[in-house]
Amino acid sequence: MTQKAITVADEVLDAALNPLPSIVIDGITVTFKTPKGVFTAIKDISLTVKKGEIVSFIGHSGCGKSTLMGTISGMVKATNGTVTANGKIVTRPGPDRGLVFQNYSLLPWLTVYQNIYTAVDSSVKNKSAKEKQEIVENNLHMVHLWAHKDKLPGQLSGGMKQRVAIARAFAINPGILLLDEPFGALDALTKSNMHVELLKLWNLDNREKTIVMVTHDIEEAIFLSDRVVVMSNGPAATIKEIVDVPLHRPRNKKEIVHDPDYIAIHDHLLNLLIQKFSIDDIEENEEDEN
Amino acid sequence: MKNIFSIRTLTSILYFLAGLALLGGIWELIAYITKYEIPTPLMTWNVFKEVVQNPMQNDPDTKGIGTKLLSSLGRVGTGFAFGSLIAIPLGLLMGSNKIVMKIINPMVQILRPVSPLAWFPLGLAIFQDSPKASVFMIFICSLWPTLINAAFGVASTPQDHKNVGKAFGFSRWKYITRIMLPYSLPHILTGLRLSIGVAWMVIVAGEMLSGGIGLGYFVWEEGFNGGSVAKILVAIIIIGIVGLLLDKFFMSLQKRFTYAI
Repeated sequence: MTQKAITVADEVLDAALNPLPSIVIDGITVTFKTPKGVFTAIKDISLTVKKGEIVSFIGHSGCGKSTLMGTISGMVKATNGTVTANGKIVTRPGPDRGLVFQNYSLLPWLTVYQNIYTAVDSSVKNKSAKEKQEIVENNLHMVHLWAHKDKLPGQLSGGMKQRVAIARAFAINPGILLLDEPFGALDALTKSNMHVELLKLWNLDNREKTIVMVTHDIEEAIFLSDRVVVMSNGPAATIKEIVDVPLHRPRNKKEIVHDPDYIAIHDHLLNLLIQKFSIDDIEENEEDEN
Repeated sequence: MKNIFSIRTLTSILYFLAGLALLGGIWELIAYITKYEIPTPLMTWNVFKEVVQNPMQNDPDTKGIGTKLLSSLGRVGTGFAFGSLIAIPLGLLMGSNKIVMKIINPMVQILRPVSPLAWFPLGLAIFQDSPKASVFMIFICSLWPTLINAAFGVASTPQDHKNVGKAFGFSRWKYITRIMLPYSLPHILTGLRLSIGVAWMVIVAGEMLSGGIGLGYFVWEEGFNGGSVAKILVAIIIIGIVGLLLDKFFMSLQKRFTYAI
């Protein structure tokens, strides 16, 4: 009896001290067949993401960030390697991973309410219609769009559409949230608001959701993330470097820019990603390599 | 706000009247040049008033213009309905399934350029009946625009919308009813609008071949049996107006079901 109790206690302790990672990317390679031959988008990428971590992928266009995200979400099939999410190998999209796309992807003929309800209805089993309606209502309130629930996407601004898309992803209560350049199409002021709103939503959920984000925006990456994964240039892109962002939370948009640690990280990322900092860096008669 | 609306409608009415005046002017000129073989607008108007007397008269020898119109519309309606019933599902299937598209598309491309009138003798051979052959002819020519546009609608469904279905685990049924069909609907309506346009044109020509009591036969009677040119012009005007109304109807449906992203 005592022996069994000790084993159970050991297991519980073990689980508490070493929680199962949320996402394990193991040797992922993705290639595509093109008329011109085989194109390798990303090669041999391995990464572990802990539960409740916020991780950003950043890199130049064409560096395979979205492809990598696709292997986690299940929208893209890996040629080699596996991705494990929430303990299960990823083969296709599922309700344990919520997706937010760059182009909102709200269905234009459904109202705000219907867009979220349809998603919840399809993803979430074992809940009654009434419970699903409650979920939709709660999430719409969370993004402050309940008053607009009967509007069509065409009647909303860009920021509002993206908030609906985020509410939709949150509504299916996934353990992992995957955001593919979610704020790329928004103006800078709206974007800044959305950063704070996203972190608020994440906080409301006790910081339990793992968030993986693809972005071009260095400031966005640092402000939101615990770690920033810098990708090398494609093709056959890999991880160039992983930069830790140990800045304390909750983060403040105004104060953070004066934090010396922030400045150091910002400079480091700039160095990793940008070659030309001023007109002095451009040679005369230089050929554009891109 | 109401003022602006009034001014805008006023100007469009003015433009419309200007267009009519121009048409009327050209008409008068032609009438004058042909030494009134082609009647003037005024003469035609008088004949028009005469023609629309007793529109729904349905005696064996004399039929009102309304009866003739309804007869033509009936045939168009039947052929168009059957054609759409086949073209819409087939088009949706072709758009969603590459294999079906590859098999059926060549047949469509070969049959589509054939003048609808050429199908009339075929219809006669099959049905041994003139009106039925007319309906058959309308049926065939109503197929192509609807089929092609429906297929296009499905095939051009944006990947973003499809991704929503994939990401949130839509069932096949949900995908079809919530993504594929709503997106394709404006395209299907465009196809229907084009089809009805062709069908309405074809029935007039077809009735010249088949006889009967429609508007097309009316034109044929007056034209080739020494009737009045004015009556032909009246028939043309009525045919044109009905065609316009049909087109506007489908256009308004199409607009209603087009959604901004």
